[in-house]
Amino acid sequence: MFQNAFKVALLVGAAWIATAGAPAISDGITYPDFESQWRNPTAGGGGNPWDPTKPMGLGQQAPLTPEYQAVLEASLRDQAKGGQGNNYEAACVLAGMPRIMSLAGPMEILIQRVHTLMIFQGALPRRIYTDGRDWPKNLEPSFQGYSIGKWIDQDGDGRYDVLEAETRNFTGPRALESSGLPLHADNQTIVKERLYLDQSNPDILHNEITTIDNAFTRPWTVDKQYVRERKARWSEYYCRESDTQVFIGKEQYLVSTDGKLMPAHKDQPPPDLRYFGQAQR
Amino acid sequence: MLHRCSIVALALAAAMTIAGMPASATDMKYPDWDGQWRNPTANRGGNPWDPNKPMGRGQEAPLTPEYHAIFEAGLKSLENGGQGNSRGTRCELPGMPKVMNFSQVMEIVVRPAITYFVPLHYPTRRIYTDGRDWPKDETPSFTGYSIGKWIDEDGDGRYDVLEVETRNFIGPRVFESSGIPLHKDNQTIVQERIFLDKDNPDLLHNVITTIDNALTRPWTVHRIYYRQQNPVWPEYNCREGNNHVTIGAEQYFLSADGKLMPVRRDQPPPDISYFKRPQ
Repeated sequence: MFQNAFKVALLVGAAWIATAGAPAISDGITYPDFESQWRNPTAGGGGNPWDPTKPMGLGQQAPLTPEYQAVLEASLRDQAKGGQGNNYEAACVLAGMPRIMSLAGPMEILIQRVHTLMIFQGALPRRIYTDGRDWPKNLEPSFQGYSIGKWIDQDGDGRYDVLEAETRNFTGPRALESSGLPLHADNQTIVKERLYLDQSNPDILHNEITTIDNAFTRPWTVDKQYVRERKARWSEYYCRESDTQVFIGKEQYLVSTDGKLMPAHKDQPPPDLRYFGQAQR
Repeated sequence: MLHRCSIVALALAAAMTIAGMPASATDMKYPDWDGQWRNPTANRGGNPWDPNKPMGRGQEAPLTPEYHAIFEAGLKSLENGGQGNSRGTRCELPGMPKVMNFSQVMEIVVRPAITYFVPLHYPTRRIYTDGRDWPKDETPSFTGYSIGKWIDEDGDGRYDVLEVETRNFIGPRVFESSGIPLHKDNQTIVQERIFLDKDNPDLLHNVITTIDNALTRPWTVHRIYYRQQNPVWPEYNCREGNNHVTIGAEQYFLSADGKLMPVRRDQPPPDISYFKRPQ
């Protein structure tokens, strides 16, 4: 009797040990060890190029249509004069997809039953639904779009290896990097991702991102790599116009240390103050 | 043989029971808090800190005379079209404890080491339950630093209550948009007891006690959140559609045609002496 009880305890214990270390479990198949803080090792090093193997801006050699190549070059010219170009983030417009996956700040992944949750230090949370749902109808388009994913057990070992995700239903304007590398104004972007751990280093997470967009002549694939941070620290970040710049309508101005409005570029006119009493000006 | 099979089957059943659970419950101890939670009274014309009392003076906040005067000055500013002590129109973070009024929906995720409160657009709040001590070099923040402890109150082997303490703040912070202030020394301590309702598992209680030098005594309120069964997560950006513009210490309004407007009668326009005068 005692021997049998011992056997049961042993087997239950073995089962517990086998499963307790896994980050999340469902349907008897375990999920890969994605739950962690991840960083882009090149972020904060003077720009965050969309294709991390190439320089930003023209150096990306983005497969842009002639029309959107002109949009990029206009953005670069404006930035050279002190403007923001197509870098809408300066006005705290959301970066959206796929740019948030450049990880300007760290990201944490939590695998839930219904979705995989990505928590960013500098962006809104992202949810990739993995419960088999179809594309929703009548959903408000957004900068991050709507993501549906599927877990893949690629090597058939009973453990998922890859998260494949597709994201649609966007609003804009969105750019791929701070140079202002544009996505099409029609917002018909489709983003496909394959996320998986490096086979020789489980502290590296790959994200192969393919962007299909009417600003491009062909789908554009880049391989982002994120590095696991085992001693995670988090800063509190929230995008707000800084105390030194302000947007009035579509115009950007600077604010001096004495709290006065200043032009952001040469010969910029002051804002229209017609709604204030004439005598006060 | 049959007996041996039944032992194996029993063990397998146990493993499968564990396998069907999310990570948070692999050791069968944590309550089911996962999901989207809402404040049932949010977006009904204000979000009073004590949900049982009206906002503003109706809260009867136990403020010191000094901070009562600050609160009254804020109310006067609001009456004159200003923003008073509320910083929301500047898209500044509400921080703790105000963020726990759930003005917008939050997702809760429980893991053994951390319980996450993931708001729609504010920074994620992490409550560390791994037994760590207060860090010595953590940068203060609006959300503060939270350490929690799970309690098995009824001794049934399953945790019922998460007790949390939060410290290490910056400011300014207020309790509600009427501008009930917290002390500018930012020495606030927030203590919470979070637990599911015994009769309704889709109802989460949070008993929040705020200890602050702006208050004459600890102030306890009891907030309730409801679990949303079919959650939708809208995208929210405080900056988008925000028609308030701050230049230096002054706040202005942005008209529909993108021009600056005064927020109060006789407000002077901003100083534009740094711009070139038209020739």
